[in-house]
Amino acid sequence: MELFRNTHIDFLRVKWICIGASWALIAAGFISIAAHHGLRFGIDFSGGTQMVLKFAERPDPAKIESIVKPLNLGLEGVQRYDTPEKNEVLIKVKQQEREGRDVTQEVFSALSAALGGPAAGARIDANVKGHDTFATSLAAADPDNVAGKLGATAAQHYAAEGDAIVAYRSQVGLFRSPADFDAIPNVSPAVKAWLKQNTVIGPFTVLSADNVGPQVGRDLRTKALWAVLLSTLAMLVYIWVRFDAKFGVGAIIAIIHDTLITIGLLSIFNREITLVVVAALLTLVGYSMNDTVVVYDRIRENMKNNRRDPLPKIINDSINQTLSRTVMSSGLTFLVVVALFFLGGEVLSTFALTLVIGIIVGTYSSIYVAAPIVVIWNEMQARRRPVAVAAAAKAAAPAPRGAAPRPAGNRKSGKR
Amino acid sequence: MSHQKVWTRVAVILVVLAASVAAYVASGISRVKTDVTGETSPGMKDYLKNGIRLGLDLKGGIHLVLQVQTADALKIETDEAMAHLSEQNKEQSLRLGAMNRIGPAGFTAVVNPDTDQDKLQDAVKRFLPGWEFSRQGTLWTFSLSAPARKNLSEDAVAQAVETIRNRIDQFGVSEPVIAREGENRIVVQLPGVDDPRRVKDIIKSTAFLELKLVIAGPSSDRTALLASSGGQMPPDAEIIEGNSTDQDPSSPKVFYLLQRVASVTGRDIKNARPSQDQNNRPSVSFSLKADGASKFDKVTGANIGKQLAIVLDNRVQSAPRIDGRISDSGIITGSFTPERANDLALILRSGALPAGLVYLEERTVGPSLGLDSIKKGVTAALLGALLVFVTMIVYYRRSGFNAVLALILNAVILLGVLAQFGATLTLPGIAGFILTIGMAVDSNVLIFERIREELREGKTPKTAIENGFSKAFLTIVDTHVTTVVSALFLFQFGTGPVKGFAVTLIVGLAASMFTAVYVSKTIFMLEYGSRERLETLSI
Repeated sequence: MELFRNTHIDFLRVKWICIGASWALIAAGFISIAAHHGLRFGIDFSGGTQMVLKFAERPDPAKIESIVKPLNLGLEGVQRYDTPEKNEVLIKVKQQEREGRDVTQEVFSALSAALGGPAAGARIDANVKGHDTFATSLAAADPDNVAGKLGATAAQHYAAEGDAIVAYRSQVGLFRSPADFDAIPNVSPAVKAWLKQNTVIGPFTVLSADNVGPQVGRDLRTKALWAVLLSTLAMLVYIWVRFDAKFGVGAIIAIIHDTLITIGLLSIFNREITLVVVAALLTLVGYSMNDTVVVYDRIRENMKNNRRDPLPKIINDSINQTLSRTVMSSGLTFLVVVALFFLGGEVLSTFALTLVIGIIVGTYSSIYVAAPIVVIWNEMQARRRPVAVAAAAKAAAPAPRGAAPRPAGNRKSGKR
Repeated sequence: MSHQKVWTRVAVILVVLAASVAAYVASGISRVKTDVTGETSPGMKDYLKNGIRLGLDLKGGIHLVLQVQTADALKIETDEAMAHLSEQNKEQSLRLGAMNRIGPAGFTAVVNPDTDQDKLQDAVKRFLPGWEFSRQGTLWTFSLSAPARKNLSEDAVAQAVETIRNRIDQFGVSEPVIAREGENRIVVQLPGVDDPRRVKDIIKSTAFLELKLVIAGPSSDRTALLASSGGQMPPDAEIIEGNSTDQDPSSPKVFYLLQRVASVTGRDIKNARPSQDQNNRPSVSFSLKADGASKFDKVTGANIGKQLAIVLDNRVQSAPRIDGRISDSGIITGSFTPERANDLALILRSGALPAGLVYLEERTVGPSLGLDSIKKGVTAALLGALLVFVTMIVYYRRSGFNAVLALILNAVILLGVLAQFGATLTLPGIAGFILTIGMAVDSNVLIFERIREELREGKTPKTAIENGFSKAFLTIVDTHVTTVVSALFLFQFGTGPVKGFAVTLIVGLAASMFTAVYVSKTIFMLEYGSRERLETLSI
């Protein structure tokens, strides 16, 4: 099966239209960012607290807001998390000025108290406590009467039951009524009875809670910035060494182009920029660079083999020759990323979306931006130095400033 | 290509494959063994499931960044230095005037004109090592030298790490990470822990235990306490708040007048364990080391009938009456839950923290979210891989099937290497895995498209394969190197998720170089190499 056989599409003919379209997309992104009063940063960078809770019944964000607001922590918002039938809610609180305040605990206590959780006392909340607490409390009460008997110690015995209780709770999401205890596998009836008597079914369970203080937020910001700058720079240096200056320029512009459009689109889709999204952005930079390198590699090869051809023709031929590969590879990676987007769940959603956008934009830029830039750059150079216009072939020479083309032997040495 | 060479290549590939599988399974076995909770004997399935350590985002757990308040340690040192100096002042009659603390690591002392300055300098040298002083008239300013400060801070952080490790070990967490980061930070990662509040309290609790004789109390009125001593605060005494007798938090506070010097402190404790008092309420019993026991014996013997306050973190837990001479053990009662009694015993056993701790960052992933993430991540990855495999086989037929074999090998090597080096697989790591597969596919596509081009130009299948591989090789190197170079920087400078992503990507790309170029070609050689004449190619 072959989709592209000997195509002869004139990609460069539409170069100005494409450049216009790119500018339009970038501008749209900037407008969106301005309209949103800047990019939305996740708590990794902005600092603050974020909690995801799962409730037994459909939670009412307004009610939760009315409970958390009086704590004066600087509530930023309460919103639905994931699909509605999951009954999950995300609560976001601003960064505190002082380090070390236990915001999550304050919010949990307030919510638990207002929504019918256990009052302060000896009874434990079956939806919030972990396996160790179940194990310790069970070992103290010893409903199975194992203390002092041969075999496993009471601690080991109840550790296994604590694990079983939490494993079952994770599976079903949360306990909704004491009757749910009956369904827990691998737990003795005595323990189930103990659970019914000594625990309270709290209104929610905690899916995740993150708290980033001012110092760590600052550190994460600087570290992420350095990671991005240095890794991009390293890539550029490699391109610069392996190819020529004009290719380096094309590659830089393509990367900036992809990043700007993707960030703009993330803003349009109202997504948060988190550490994981930064990782995704870097991936798409790598991916776009990969595509660009493949096209450049072919251009370089064709320049050596067909010295008499003008540069635009060489570039067009090269894009056409690699078109099948570009579409195949991008298409396959795209399939994987789309699977991730639809099946990966809420946690991976923004990460996958960034990659989906990135692969489309990256593939487009390798064909319609990175290569045409080389032509445009070359034309500009030629206009500045009129002597060089004399022969188109000269423009097609691989290196400006008379640098020798990479010797053929060099390529051969790459063969194994 | 000679026959022998092909078989050498096959041998190399089989060795790599076997090593990867062995590394993965070995890691699984060792990890299953350290996990003591399992009661049934583990099988191959458990080993395969546990080959790779899962990150907190997949397994659930807690990630904490703490800051050691090293100033606390400096303050303690300053207090001790001042105490030493005033002791020497008495012993050697140095005639020093008032001493005042300035900042966390310095104090001033008024030196009288008739003080023997040589004797003072000698005393400082002998009893206050690491301290420097400057003179301004009669006022001497003592400050802790920079190296001494640094040492103290270092020690405080190191000791805090040690104490936290003790506590976590006693709590029984498998594969915890407790590491120092930067000057005064400690990173704690506890996979599988689902009681964030409890663990946070255990880590942070200074749990400073003191047993002090009660002069008066309990009373809800501070001034009433002083009535017995004539309304004046007696020397060497202090007032400390205590737990009220009933559990109602709204009941009025109670206070005790206690002797300032503790009879016994937490440092004298040999062991502590949760127990029950005579009313079957949770409590903590402790035993004392030899020194502590003799001190305790003396104090209790001399004060029969009086009350002894059990002070924990500057709060009176209870103040039982001394009924008789006690030497080496005691019991702490209070309104504890079984959980709290258990944790208090744990903290008392593990020693005190040298300085206070502040939480800078806290990330908790509940067990159900982790379960959900891993299920979804794996489903997405498997479906994505399946889509890629099917497309490859449909589009490139026989050659596509070869590529799929290479891709599977790529995944196996990646898992083996990750297991071998004890790397942690996180959610972004799974994403890195998926991208690796994407790039490995790309390498194969590059090669196949080249071969097709060569065939179109009328080359024979054998030459086409040969040229396809060699021409695609440089491009594959270029694409891989660019990505690896950027991933290396991500690894070096990135944190948390970015790092996890970079690790998988680097290892995956290295494996991809091997499988796409070396393995793929070997499969082609095996298939077509032995034939004298090759007419068609399934590509």
